[in-house]
Amino acid sequence: MTTIIDVCPLSELLPGQKRLVRWEDLEIGVFNCAGTVYAIEDRCTHDDGPLVEGGFDEAACTVECPRHGSLFDLTTGKPKTLPAYMPVDTFDVIIEHDTIKLEVD
Amino acid sequence: MAIFDPTVAPVPEPDENKNLRGINADYTERYGFHDAENYLYKAPKGLTRELVAKISEFKSEPEWMREFRLKALDYFLARPMPTWGSPMLAEVDFDDIHYFVRASERSERSWDDVPEDVKKTFDRLGIPEAERKFLSGVGAQYESEVVYHQVNESLEKQGVIFTDMDTALREHEELLREYFATIIPPNDNKLAALNSAVWSGGSFVYVPPGVHVEMPLQAYFRINTESMGQFERTLIIADEGSYVHYVEGCTAPTYSSSSLHSAVVELVAKPGSRIRYTTVQNWSTNVFNLVTKRAIAETDATVEWVDCNLGSKLTMKYPSVYLMGERAHGEILSIAFAGAGQHQDAGGKIVHVAPNTTSNIFAKSISKDGGRGSYRGLLEIAKGAHGSRSKVVCDALLLDEESRSDTYPTIRIDNDDVNVGHEATVSKVGDDQLYYLMSHGISEEEASKLIVNGFIEPITKELPMEYAVEMNRLIELQMEGSIG
Repeated sequence: MTTIIDVCPLSELLPGQKRLVRWEDLEIGVFNCAGTVYAIEDRCTHDDGPLVEGGFDEAACTVECPRHGSLFDLTTGKPKTLPAYMPVDTFDVIIEHDTIKLEVD
Repeated sequence: MAIFDPTVAPVPEPDENKNLRGINADYTERYGFHDAENYLYKAPKGLTRELVAKISEFKSEPEWMREFRLKALDYFLARPMPTWGSPMLAEVDFDDIHYFVRASERSERSWDDVPEDVKKTFDRLGIPEAERKFLSGVGAQYESEVVYHQVNESLEKQGVIFTDMDTALREHEELLREYFATIIPPNDNKLAALNSAVWSGGSFVYVPPGVHVEMPLQAYFRINTESMGQFERTLIIADEGSYVHYVEGCTAPTYSSSSLHSAVVELVAKPGSRIRYTTVQNWSTNVFNLVTKRAIAETDATVEWVDCNLGSKLTMKYPSVYLMGERAHGEILSIAFAGAGQHQDAGGKIVHVAPNTTSNIFAKSISKDGGRGSYRGLLEIAKGAHGSRSKVVCDALLLDEESRSDTYPTIRIDNDDVNVGHEATVSKVGDDQLYYLMSHGISEEEASKLIVNGFIEPITKELPMEYAVEMNRLIELQMEGSIG
């Protein structure tokens, strides 16, 4: 069943900023790439690295796993470099009344 | 390794010395010499932010590469030294190393233009001779940079690029940037981070679609300075349906202080292509050899690593292949000799990502005179890789009571529709085997050589003829004096 959860007001996640959201046993990284917000599961598919703690390149819209350096495309969740080869889960983002919301399963 | 003239017999040695000699017993006279240092620049020992920026400046690199290096330095400094592998790792002293030494102004295309001292070294190692006889192209790296690079003219006309990485960054920046550090990112591991910060030299190969490079391309790496760090970086891209065989070899003088060789090698095999990468590693026994090698094979592509480790004090190297496209094939043939004071921690990794992919890992190690040989390997079959097949065989041969062998195989399978085989053996040259052969009139030493040759034959037969001959010669030398 799809559930919609609130993240924060849009004004609290400006372009270039990121934050971690917890919902039940899920940890989700939320990133603002030049005004567009993306959300991915905060767990590298290679070795479970916490992606939100890695380097966020706003211009390229990528995040780098701090554990072994895999670079993920935030728009698709796909790895752009090894050693990860599986995509991370992505979540639909809704902006409603200036609030960032996520669709989670 | 020796690039050599097979028509010239090695200098015979007096019989009375034979029983005293062991692994690489003739190393000093063949490769262990060193030249006078007549360098354009030699960095003081130690690794600093200023030095990393200076290397980039020396090479007139674009800003993105300078930033890449500095970020990699942060990764290197933040990461602890690995605690697995070998206790010898703790002996690596990163403050006691020269990270950059420039011997020549530029990479030359004619041996005549290479500085006299450097040319003499490569003449002595037989490289110009080998190039004329059986190679499509040659690169020669001396200390931090490539001093000579040449590729067969007809291949160049077909669009084959074989050059050093520094030149590639200047002349083929976009192509290089598309693949650089995508297979091995800078924060992959501590040593890859170090290489990413201070890399210099190495080979860049691009083979256009459908082009078959029939004769091997070869790179030769030479360290001359004491307490030297060599950090070459190699990137090979085989475009659709192409084929290339790249061979690398390396030697260094024997010093009492340690040197460090830490390379990064990335291979990209596009659909239907085949890359074979052969290494004959013969560093002197004061060199720490800590290398990261990884490849991807796309649909119907094949990547083969033939990895022979004879020299170094400690080698930690596990070439890997990620089988990304359907029906891709990966092959790793690993052979390691560990003699007195040596630890060869070698093996390989195969990751089956796509369906119906196939792979083999064949690893052989021989330990003698108290040496330690380890096999460390990973076979991973991902969820989507149904119908995949793999075979892993690792065999170890111990030649005496003092030597040691370890096996660390890891197999992860997330799929029930696959076929995986794993075999491992450890054997000791037994009295009964020797007795059987000696009862046919063969001497004890000859019998021992025969057993070892039989043991490694499945791998040496995969080497090009010239290298197989040389490997067999080295093995014979290594076996001398091993009995009694």
